[in-house]
Amino acid sequence: MLRLFPLVALTLALAITLPLRAQTDSLTPLQDALQSVQEHVASPSRATVPAVLRALLDADAPGTVDFLRAWGDREVYERAEDGLFFYALEAPDRMLALIDIDSGAEAGAVSTRAVNQIRPNAGVRREIGAALVSFELMHPEASRRLAALDNIARSPDAEQIEALTLARDAEDDSRIAARMDRLLDLLNARFATDTDVRVDAIDGLRGDISTEARRVLNQILQTRAEFAPEIPEGTNVARIRAPGSDIELIAAYATLAEAGLVPARPGRNAIRDALRRNVVDGAVGGIPVHQLTSDEMRRAAYAALEAQGSVAPLVTEDDMRAAVREVVFFDAYLEPDPAVTDAARDALDSTRTRISLWQFVSISLDALSLASIFFLAAIGLAITFGVMRVINMAHGEFIMMGAYTGYVVQTVIPNYTTSLIVALPLAFAVTFAAGVAMERLVIRHLYTRPLETLLATFGISIALQQLAKNIFGTQARPLTAPDWLAGAIQVNDVVSVASIRVAIFVMAIGFLAMLLYILNRTRLGLEVRAVTQNPGMAASMGINPDRINMLTFGLGSGIAGVAGVSIGLVAQVTSEMGANYIVQSFMTVVVGGVGSVFGTLAGATLIGFLQKGIEWFNPANTLAAQTFMVLFIILFIQFRPKGIVALKGRAAGD
Amino acid sequence: MSLDIPRNTAAPAPSRRSFLHENPSVLWFMGLLGVFTVAVTVLSEGFGLGLISTNLVKVLGMTLCLCLIAIAMDVVWGYCGILSLGHFAFFGLGGYAIGMWLMYARTEIVIRDSLGRGTIPPTELEVSEAVAAQIFGVVGSSELPLIWTFAGSLPFQLAMVVLVPGVLALVFGWLAFRSRVTGVYLSILTQAMTLALSLYLFQNDTGLRGNNGLSGLQNIPGFLHVPQSVLSVWFFWASAFMLGAGYLLFAWVVSGKFGSVIRAIRDNEARVRFLGYNVEGYKLFVFTVTAVISGIAGALYYPQAGIINPAEIAPIASIYLAVWVAIGGRGRLYGAVIGAAFVSLLSSWLTGGGAPNIDLGFYRIVWTDWWLVLLGLGFVAVTLFFPKGIGGLFDYLVRKKP
Amino acid sequence: MTTLLEVSGVSVTFDGFRAINNLSIAIGEPELRAVIGPNGAGKTTFMDIVTGKTRPDEGKVLWGERSVDLLKYSESQIAKMGIGRKFQKPTVFEDQSVRDNLAMALKNKRGPFSVLMWQASAQDEARIVELAEEVGLSERLEDSAGILSHGQKQWLEIGMLLAQDPRLLLVDEPAAGMTPGEREHTTDLLKRAARTRAVMVIEHDMEFIRRLDCRVTCLHEGSVLAEGSLDHVTRNQQVIDVYLGR
Repeated sequence: MLRLFPLVALTLALAITLPLRAQTDSLTPLQDALQSVQEHVASPSRATVPAVLRALLDADAPGTVDFLRAWGDREVYERAEDGLFFYALEAPDRMLALIDIDSGAEAGAVSTRAVNQIRPNAGVRREIGAALVSFELMHPEASRRLAALDNIARSPDAEQIEALTLARDAEDDSRIAARMDRLLDLLNARFATDTDVRVDAIDGLRGDISTEARRVLNQILQTRAEFAPEIPEGTNVARIRAPGSDIELIAAYATLAEAGLVPARPGRNAIRDALRRNVVDGAVGGIPVHQLTSDEMRRAAYAALEAQGSVAPLVTEDDMRAAVREVVFFDAYLEPDPAVTDAARDALDSTRTRISLWQFVSISLDALSLASIFFLAAIGLAITFGVMRVINMAHGEFIMMGAYTGYVVQTVIPNYTTSLIVALPLAFAVTFAAGVAMERLVIRHLYTRPLETLLATFGISIALQQLAKNIFGTQARPLTAPDWLAGAIQVNDVVSVASIRVAIFVMAIGFLAMLLYILNRTRLGLEVRAVTQNPGMAASMGINPDRINMLTFGLGSGIAGVAGVSIGLVAQVTSEMGANYIVQSFMTVVVGGVGSVFGTLAGATLIGFLQKGIEWFNPANTLAAQTFMVLFIILFIQFRPKGIVALKGRAAGD
Repeated sequence: MSLDIPRNTAAPAPSRRSFLHENPSVLWFMGLLGVFTVAVTVLSEGFGLGLISTNLVKVLGMTLCLCLIAIAMDVVWGYCGILSLGHFAFFGLGGYAIGMWLMYARTEIVIRDSLGRGTIPPTELEVSEAVAAQIFGVVGSSELPLIWTFAGSLPFQLAMVVLVPGVLALVFGWLAFRSRVTGVYLSILTQAMTLALSLYLFQNDTGLRGNNGLSGLQNIPGFLHVPQSVLSVWFFWASAFMLGAGYLLFAWVVSGKFGSVIRAIRDNEARVRFLGYNVEGYKLFVFTVTAVISGIAGALYYPQAGIINPAEIAPIASIYLAVWVAIGGRGRLYGAVIGAAFVSLLSSWLTGGGAPNIDLGFYRIVWTDWWLVLLGLGFVAVTLFFPKGIGGLFDYLVRKKP
Repeated sequence: MTTLLEVSGVSVTFDGFRAINNLSIAIGEPELRAVIGPNGAGKTTFMDIVTGKTRPDEGKVLWGERSVDLLKYSESQIAKMGIGRKFQKPTVFEDQSVRDNLAMALKNKRGPFSVLMWQASAQDEARIVELAEEVGLSERLEDSAGILSHGQKQWLEIGMLLAQDPRLLLVDEPAAGMTPGEREHTTDLLKRAARTRAVMVIEHDMEFIRRLDCRVTCLHEGSVLAEGSLDHVTRNQQVIDVYLGR
């Protein structure tokens, strides 16, 4: 505590003088100040450092912080002839280029012989480091103070408590002050010597979900597995492990054997090896070798060997029990103070509740993002399948076409933002055209044969997939998001959302709005609905069903193209990417209820949340999540064959 | 209750004629299959002149298995109108069931051999642990999963070949038909089932070696000394026999009143209900029986292929099956056989590098790259212009004759 | 004559539209009954309810001597109990021969396994031939049903209905699209059938109904407007207002 005194004095002085920051007239204020304590700078010891600091403080020169860092890092040189101090750079011919410590200007090259490198010892460097922390914590610029706090958080240390406490008292910015309070709690929780201070600090961390707080609490709660005949006095026991239930008998015995307290128990392999070593005339312990095909016989043979005294004794279960009964197995906290560990456990428990709440939020956001991807992938289908009852197996390939369009545009236009803006409408145009062409050439002829539409469009799907493979190769192509979409929105240490996913969510909402508008508020939508409900009647009222079918199909395909661009931004662009989405997309439409945009929305939401929900139970296995999701959908269709949003009565047209 | 006093009419009873007499195509098919089998045997390496390589015998044997599942698909789709996109899953399950025995039994032989060379013989536990470590080391496990408990028993696994696809089809079909899911919805639902199954099998911890699948299936335990050239012909015979038996069974099923009812279900299932038939029961029957036959076909196919993995079960395989049947011609069994044989052989010829590439001067058509494009577009053309498929050509022949 | 089918207090709503409104109707065995009414009166929906295709929101449909509640049964079970139905649009299986169509409808066991093992007995054969003669299709037994004329398809369907040997026949517009000669034949068929069973005919053609010479029920907006002899019904002012007068 005593050796911290100069530091305290320094910080106090700094706090007072910094706002004033008097300028001296000298051109070399730093050099002047240092020369006044030349001895102490050139050959520093822990006792002399305060004098140097005071001198620097008095001078209040601009380069002080840099000098302190360089001093500690052994980058300051003393010129032998006049005792002036310089920084130095390596120059050719084993020379050093000196740099003036005030101006940063070159001050000529000298031979390494002409200067002495100043090498403060470890104690001095620690002293300098502490001073530096104070300097930084008191820095007039808020960003520098925050950076200093981050540094402390990264490598916490008992000695920072003092400096931080002082800086906290002088802090005006409430945001930084709050951060300092928490850091103080973190430091005190771990390093304070007084139990009450620690418990207070730990209470302050209650409900704090940041990783640094949890790390500190977990560190306090670290345990070590131990055993002893009796629990020693003053041990902070976390829990006692009863052999047989909390710890397996064999494992408990093995622990004892490892400590050399009991003979090791020969396992199955040890028995076998022992028998192998003791084969005499085709028999072991009187039992012919060919009979040793069961564990019972082997143990009998081993017992015979044991009787001869040629092998270590067999340890029976009773032996193990007896040995284990002699001792207590327990986990002990490394932290000896039970008050501290109790507080930490309490704090961590309350944190856990909050964390699970936030995790729920995080999963919901993930699910929402997944749902919007499903929605984007499926909404085109909702139009072609839902409205026109045409099942388009090539829908996935339209998604792929959109993604590749995005990729091609990026190879032409290097600016990612511009290329994205160009790619979206272009992808729409390309897939719109493809959809219209497909409708005219193939689907038109198959309106009365829905199952054959499925097959014909599947034929187109495999042809398109292979064509893409021929053109773009089999390896995945990148579709890079612009920088402003590359980051993530960090809510706290538990919840963060990639910006690109937010963008996709927004896009999904946009499409929903656009489709609702087109279907419900425009002439085209009216005609589409008319043709859907009664093509003959619509035709007799002057609506051209051919044109409407073509446009509807084009619209559905075009949306698939745009969806392809956005999916390409989060997933890999490959010739098979469409195939990965097609089944899920159909599920989305069927689960939601065919023929309804809102149904697709509901379906996508349900499937997205379901998948993430299942993943939450078993995070390591996304395949299992998908399996269970598909099973759920199969069962769901049992109970609501017409989906969530079911059309009723004659309109359903079964 | 009769409407009028029945006039004493002597029934001409054309339907009393024998089944084969009424279905001459069955005789033709059996004859051709027999001739083909004899021809392949005589030309094979194992039994005759050696003009057909062992590998080709295997390909032909596998093709016969594909023909078998194709006629099953034809019955369920072409006759009963259920476009199932799940029958290849049943095929794969049959393959997995037999593959488990093949892999376990063979590994066990190898392990016993190597452990038996030690100074003392192994215990049963040591054998099964070593087998498990050998089989599942690749997925980072050394324990035998529960479903492998009886993998060492051939009768049990043979029963599984029939039971696993059968029970799955029964449960799934019961659920689906009960809620009257029909048409494209049913297709999508069966596709979902297939997807779920393949995703399940892709997982490492489900006990079927994840995406590694089961391998080394061409080695038949108990016949490890028999050369592949002979084994391949044996399997070819077995495949030909099963195809013949399956063809006969299905031809009989679809020719009588049962065939009449399921075709009626295909054309108008509501009307069939009003005739008093339990449509769901019929669909379930057809779905399950064809699933079982598919499983048997798979159990014969994979020992010839040598390896099975979850990619085989992926939904796309079942769609290809529908493609074969459609190209061959739905609603006639020989059409399915023609489609499966034609497309799968053409596919292995073109993608196996057997076909010469075509140099157009400005572009070189490499068949491995363009085969799928050709298949896809050809398939669209068949759907649009020849809905009866290749089998439809026979109508012209038959009509011209008289 | 005993009551065979009793429909009481049945209502059905489609999306807010009341297709059937507290309908009560009964038919005895044997009886021939004609049902008339304007479009949208609920005639076809009534048949859908009786045959199990549509479930009513409320009401009872009782069948036979033991008053079985038909609402608990599926279409195929109701058909097996003895209710046969002919649709408005002739629905025969066009890909199959007339013989196969009739064979399917024959009163035999309906389970998949019995059907699989089914062989036409001499009795079955005789019955098929007899039915074909009855509906005038003896010459066309081996022809595919798809190439029959419209009227012949109607007869084939009636033949299939008779082959089922039902106790109640529900016949929806049997005379639609028939020549006068064919109509006469159809009338004879129905009248003969009604000697031993209950037959309910939906028809618009008054001439046809007059020739049936039976009790008439007039439906309107989902409930019974009038019932009685044709003359009685046609003199009813309400019937004239909503149906005949237009």
